[in-house]
Amino acid sequence: MTAPFLHIRALRKDYGVVTAVRDVNLTVERGEFMTFLGPSGSGKSTTLYILAGFENPTAGDILLNGQSLIATPSHKRNIGMVFQRYTLFPHLSVGENIAFPLKVRRLPRAEVDAKVAKMLKLVRLEGFEDRKPAQMSGGQQQRVALARALAYDPPVLLMDEPLSALDKKLREEIQHEIRRIHQETEVTILYVTHDQEEALRLSDRIAVFSKGVIDQIGTGPELYANPATRFVAEFIGDSDFVTCRVLSAGSGRADLAVGTGMTISGVPMHGIGAAGSNAALMLRPERLSLKRGAIGGNSLSATVTDITFLGSNIHVAAKVPSGEALSVRLPFGHEATSGLARGDTVSLAFDPASAHVFCA
Amino acid sequence: MLLNFDRLGGWKWILIGITGLTAAFLILPIVFIAALSFGSSQWLIFPPPAWTLKWYEAFFADPRWLEAAGTSFSIAAMVTVLSVLIGLVASFGLVRGRFIGKEGLRALFLTPMILPVVVLAVALYAFFLRIGLNGTVTGFVIAHLVVALPFSILSITNALEGFDKSIEDAAVLCGASPLEAKLRITLPSISHGLFSAAVFSFLTSWDEVVLAIFMASPTLQTLPVKIWSTLRQDLTPVIAAASTLLIVVTIALMLLVALLRKGLKS
Repeated sequence: MTAPFLHIRALRKDYGVVTAVRDVNLTVERGEFMTFLGPSGSGKSTTLYILAGFENPTAGDILLNGQSLIATPSHKRNIGMVFQRYTLFPHLSVGENIAFPLKVRRLPRAEVDAKVAKMLKLVRLEGFEDRKPAQMSGGQQQRVALARALAYDPPVLLMDEPLSALDKKLREEIQHEIRRIHQETEVTILYVTHDQEEALRLSDRIAVFSKGVIDQIGTGPELYANPATRFVAEFIGDSDFVTCRVLSAGSGRADLAVGTGMTISGVPMHGIGAAGSNAALMLRPERLSLKRGAIGGNSLSATVTDITFLGSNIHVAAKVPSGEALSVRLPFGHEATSGLARGDTVSLAFDPASAHVFCA
Repeated sequence: MLLNFDRLGGWKWILIGITGLTAAFLILPIVFIAALSFGSSQWLIFPPPAWTLKWYEAFFADPRWLEAAGTSFSIAAMVTVLSVLIGLVASFGLVRGRFIGKEGLRALFLTPMILPVVVLAVALYAFFLRIGLNGTVTGFVIAHLVVALPFSILSITNALEGFDKSIEDAAVLCGASPLEAKLRITLPSISHGLFSAAVFSFLTSWDEVVLAIFMASPTLQTLPVKIWSTLRQDLTPVIAAASTLLIVVTIALMLLVALLRKGLKS
């Protein structure tokens, strides 16, 4: 078996008594777009900074094409990086900024000029080479930073929340640019963000970070349909949680009781739930079907607390007898919504296979 | 706005009057000394009975004055170079370093600004007496360096704190060694701070008189020392000419700073 393109192995980073990252294991394919997704302080940026060589790991290794990177200083790693903050060299023009890594490598003048022109074309900023960074918008500056980071054909490009300083519309525009540039250059990208929508839009695969460890690695649909932990379920997409009791468990599935009289059988189980223990049942708002009147099997009885019209969707807020809130999303014009009012008692049915139960 | 100049009405004129008086208070002595240096009276009579350039001729004809000016200039130049170099290294430590007692060290570096200069002068004099540095250029440079360094450290730490370290990190990832990144990216980005440090260091040494009196010997005198010692012997208008030249150099440097600041902004 050939070695993976990029292999992060048992990475750990301690700051004094605080562990920022531990047990991070990850392989990345050549040309892959891998996103580190997680809240601030989850260790995603620390992992990226270790890759860049700005931090030394306490333990573990990083292998690129089978070679360890740890002993190589940052400036010899040949890795590209786009930072969260604007990092263009303020006293140099756009063209000189992009030329900088090439001049540092002592490339001949003609080659530098050709490459700068090619990079400006890649990020669609032809004609801007004589501008100073201060004369450019934030979005343009980050595109130049991208061009500079790609100018020396790095095997890996690191991006540390490069769009977080931009407004939403511009952010989406540049997300498209990044996707296009990824496809055109086929560079391997490691991208850090706390924005799940950005992660889903850009990535081939996502590593979800929580409290210094990777909770789960997978494609967007995999993480959404089959979250490994409650944290992943909460972080990717909308989710409802209801406290339940495990009646019986076996071969990865569990039968559950919610409140009194509501039983659900055959729910995929995560963690080890002994019969009689409490657990959290996770439901996706769009997987619930709302019916009025009597309750059947595999459904929850609830009281409607609010109804919100959101264009193509109607959002129904409800609560189960224990008081826990649920949200249900129904397409506009759905028959169950006509005449629905606050205080109505409804039954929320779902396919147990689409739900998940997380045991402590 | 609470204090809008256009809406002050009659108060406006009082404000203008106070401002004018303050400006006059600050500038008149300089105008006065400059006017006297062009006056024909031997006794510094004001207003001068007639105008002349003979005091300047006397200044440039006297090798002792020129020597003092040359000494002042070369000492100030050496102080400038050393002050910027040491200030730069110290600033990197104070801004980027992570060590216990950093704030205390920063305060220590700035103490020469608030310490009475005469105390410093006596202390240095006593110390240099032991190691034989009084009356030497080295002694002069060290003494002036002590008072110039705080200005240098203040301007450079300010500039360095305003410079995002990520920019230097970006240069390093681009393939520049940490030293190369500092030389090619960080230093040009904080050049305004380095320039202010150089100008203030130069001026601190250029017009410093207290330390200089202690350090001077009959054969080694800076321009302010020469002015002071001449003043004690006889009251010649050449002193006014020398003082005016001293001020002209200072003003020229301040103008240069202002112009460069303006150039940086546009």
